[in-house]
Amino acid sequence: MAALVWVMMGIAIWHFTIFVPDRFWGGIVGAFLGAVTGAMLLGLIINGFTIPGQNDTDLVSALEAIPGALLGIAAVYFYGVSQGNEPLDA
Amino acid sequence: MSDRRRNLFVLLTVVGLLAASIAVIFTKETKLGLDLQGGVQLVFQGKPTKQQPEVTPEGLDRALDIMRERVDTLGVAEPELQRSGSDQIDVSLPGVADPERAANIVGTTAQLYFYDWEPNILDEDCKTNPDSVNGGQQAISGLFNAVQRASKCPPEVDGNNTTQGSQFYAFDKTSNAPLNDGIPSESEQDLRESLEKADIGNFKILEVPEGVIVVRAPDEREGDQRDRGEVDQWWVLKDNPVLNGNEIKNPEQNFENGAGGAPIVTMEFTDQGRKAFAETTREIAQRGADNAALNGGLQNPIAASHHFAIRLDNELISTPYINFRENPDGIDGSQGAQISGGFTLQSAQDLARLLKIGALPLRLELISRSQVSATLGQQALDQGLKAGLAGFLIVAIFLLVFYRVLGVIAVVALAIYALYLFALIKLIPITMTLPGIAGLILTIGVAADANIVVFERVKEEIRHGRSISAGIAQGYKKGFATIVDANIVTLLVAFILFILATAGVKGFAFVLGVGTIVSLFTAVLATQAILLSMRGSRVLQRPSALGAGKQRKPITFDFMGWSKWFFSTSGVILLVCALAIGGKGLNFGIDFESGTRITAALENPATVEQVRDAVGPAGFADAKIQTVKNPELGNNVVQISAEQSGKTQEVTDALDNTFGIAGDPEVSEIGPTFGQSVANSALVAIIASLLVISIYITLRFEWKFAVPVLIALAHDILITAGIYALVGREVTTSTVAALLTILGFSLYDTIIVFDRIRENVPRMPSAAFSQIYNRSMSEVVVRSLATSFCTVLPVLALFFFGGETLQDFAFALIIGTLSGAYSSIFIAGPVLVHWKERDPVYRSRYRRIKEQLGYVPAYAVAASGAPVDVEPERKRRATASITAPQDPTQVSREDFDDMVANLGIDEGGSAKRPTTAAGAGSGRPTGGRRARARAAGGGGGAGSGGAGETGSGGTAGEGGQPPAGDADKPKKPRNRRHGRPR
Repeated sequence: MAALVWVMMGIAIWHFTIFVPDRFWGGIVGAFLGAVTGAMLLGLIINGFTIPGQNDTDLVSALEAIPGALLGIAAVYFYGVSQGNEPLDA
Repeated sequence: MSDRRRNLFVLLTVVGLLAASIAVIFTKETKLGLDLQGGVQLVFQGKPTKQQPEVTPEGLDRALDIMRERVDTLGVAEPELQRSGSDQIDVSLPGVADPERAANIVGTTAQLYFYDWEPNILDEDCKTNPDSVNGGQQAISGLFNAVQRASKCPPEVDGNNTTQGSQFYAFDKTSNAPLNDGIPSESEQDLRESLEKADIGNFKILEVPEGVIVVRAPDEREGDQRDRGEVDQWWVLKDNPVLNGNEIKNPEQNFENGAGGAPIVTMEFTDQGRKAFAETTREIAQRGADNAALNGGLQNPIAASHHFAIRLDNELISTPYINFRENPDGIDGSQGAQISGGFTLQSAQDLARLLKIGALPLRLELISRSQVSATLGQQALDQGLKAGLAGFLIVAIFLLVFYRVLGVIAVVALAIYALYLFALIKLIPITMTLPGIAGLILTIGVAADANIVVFERVKEEIRHGRSISAGIAQGYKKGFATIVDANIVTLLVAFILFILATAGVKGFAFVLGVGTIVSLFTAVLATQAILLSMRGSRVLQRPSALGAGKQRKPITFDFMGWSKWFFSTSGVILLVCALAIGGKGLNFGIDFESGTRITAALENPATVEQVRDAVGPAGFADAKIQTVKNPELGNNVVQISAEQSGKTQEVTDALDNTFGIAGDPEVSEIGPTFGQSVANSALVAIIASLLVISIYITLRFEWKFAVPVLIALAHDILITAGIYALVGREVTTSTVAALLTILGFSLYDTIIVFDRIRENVPRMPSAAFSQIYNRSMSEVVVRSLATSFCTVLPVLALFFFGGETLQDFAFALIIGTLSGAYSSIFIAGPVLVHWKERDPVYRSRYRRIKEQLGYVPAYAVAASGAPVDVEPERKRRATASITAPQDPTQVSREDFDDMVANLGIDEGGSAKRPTTAAGAGSGRPTGGRRARARAAGGGGGAGSGGAGETGSGGTAGEGGQPPAGDADKPKKPRNRRHGRPR
């Protein structure tokens, strides 16, 4: 259940990348993958590489995904910058 | 074949099929499922046995054959037995009132074994004492004590063992009460998982090694005492049988000492069985004689005689002695043998039948049991029919209001569709279940959606200047590909659902699949034939009759410009949904969580506390008990929900004894394994659906179109799940089916949009991708919203008029369909645009437009005066044949303009051409080489045509004016390069 919450949180945060200049590696889809992967990874790391079940998932489980998603998005963004990705309006 | 003949042929086929359908409807019975007529549904899971070490499809089929024979002995009319998934068997028994007996008869393995009793009884040191009667032991009280003793014994593995590997028993850590109904598992991991799934944390597991078995002692109580539950006396034995059920023949129920005696079961032996029986009984008689001699020649031979044990599965039926005085050489077995185990007449008959039919090759574990009362079934049927009728009516009203004459034809087609589908349901026959009715109602929306797609296309063609006749032909031709794409996806999802879903949902999937295919025929072929046959009539003389009058106001909404705000809104909604799932969790029903739910109408009124007191002794003191308003069922309806399973009979007995139960109670009993398998199959179905959808979209469009589709689908499913968490609605198997259906329906809108983008890409060779998207959206947004609305209408009928199960479907579908419409426009499209605009070709177009105009307008404008909108290459080939059309009515205004431009005649007319073309609302002011050269060269003509040649002209469909805002923007000097096809 926690995995579902992490993925949801990652996707929710990804929606706001629309306001960021598109210099992501892989564009908006790359940002999507970064957000979901980051949210999942950090969730797993925090929980010792286990996925909490239905009864162990709470509000904190959802919040745990936020920094992961942001880190994932940031990673994809800076990798895109390093690859020379320019925003469309540049 | 000419068009006229073809139409006639289609119409005759429609009428012929209609007549056949009506005949079928009036002559064939509708096969109703259990949920609509009442009965018992059992789901068994196959487990390996020594004889069948693996659960294979062949093994399940053999088990099914045997089970069918057993069901026949119950005298059930129209039972249904089918394989489900890789290891399950679904059994539906309509009209059966005693689910306990049905489950026992159908699912008992009925493996019979004969043991030489004394040499196999193990004492507390795991030793045998073959010389003493009963091995000097007494039956052990309590399963835990017996299993504990057995667990200390060493394994004795040989080819004669009846079990494969160790047996694992679970007990409550504190009370030592058996868990999992005391049924052993052959896998410790499976047992542990099923207990954890059932939220049982305080347990311990004991292992009984292979070669040692724990069996229940024979029930030797008399009469009424037998009703006090099963005996809790056990024996620990060496697993070393001398005979098994394969070595007996002709088992029959008889009476001891002739009629009037106690019921017994008699049988004969095969040759091999007879030899083994004779040899064993001789040894037993010999030991009895030796025992008597050792004890000083006992006068009563019975006290000294040794025994023979008959075991059926994990229970001893009886342990008869061999009288060594009467049979000093044992019993030769030529006269057969008899089992006298304190049977009732029915239990003796049942055992004889079971032995006659033979043992199941697999061990079957009952993982789900539901009993539906006939009253509730009838009520559900009435509600389903009411919802279906309401759904049909509101869809019909919508079509009539929105499409006028076309609407009438669509309603006729819908009625034909409903008759065809109903006839097919009777003819195949498809067992109608409540979810099946949901599928039927939903396909009304699918059929109407196909009409909407085609009708909108017809209107568009007519508005572009085609004659009504040509508009109809072109509309159907162009709309067909979209409909096929959308329906194939629905069909694929229905197929995956059918393969992977539980029995109830299978009915839904099947009806959805069949309905989708039938709707293709009625909504496309039949309506086209009707329309084309009517083309000369007065009804179809004015475009307004088809709702294709002048478009009042063009849609000039900047979909891409606003998308970021809609994107953010989605983000916020998902954020709230994620927090809701995290904070509140999903309310999984017993389908997933396992447990028991009993709904019963009490004859005497009772408070919740009184009911709790009554069912408390059966272990249901902590159950959730609520009163339910259901006048159809009775005045005092209570619903009892609990996490444990296996005590339903005791609970209903307690209710019956205390308050009296009117009619049959409705019972659902789900084991933890079933819930797990439902969850797993749902997950597999979702993944498989997404995979299949991706492959299909990739093949039909391109892979970059598939990714936004997946993101939009994830968006829809997650939002639906989040709303379920927010409102605390119960998640059932119906919800999962609805979620999977959302995958198909959500895609309908997306495919309409993507299809138009694909069509517009070659037409707008200079436009930025966002402009292509805006233009495509403005062209199809009405039909996209109309299809969603049309799907929601019957779903709303389901929600308001359907029963509890149908409301489950409807709620998820309403959320999913609305979210699907939203995500098609504001998620899938914008993601595609953002992604495609990174492609070098679109990036360079974007930059060039920005360079020329200083900004990128929402809709394409031709800064150079050259057309932004050209006829695609394949169309050029088509126009070549227009020079000599077979039917002049097939040439639209724009085709004619194209032809004039291509020929380069009438200079004055040419100068006016762009305005004319745009004025016709074509949006495709294509020009020939010379015309384009003139336009690119500037001049007064181009100046006037500049606005008219904009993509907005095509979008607006009138006046050649660009969308609001665009016309007033300062124009940059024209650039010759702009507008060149790339």
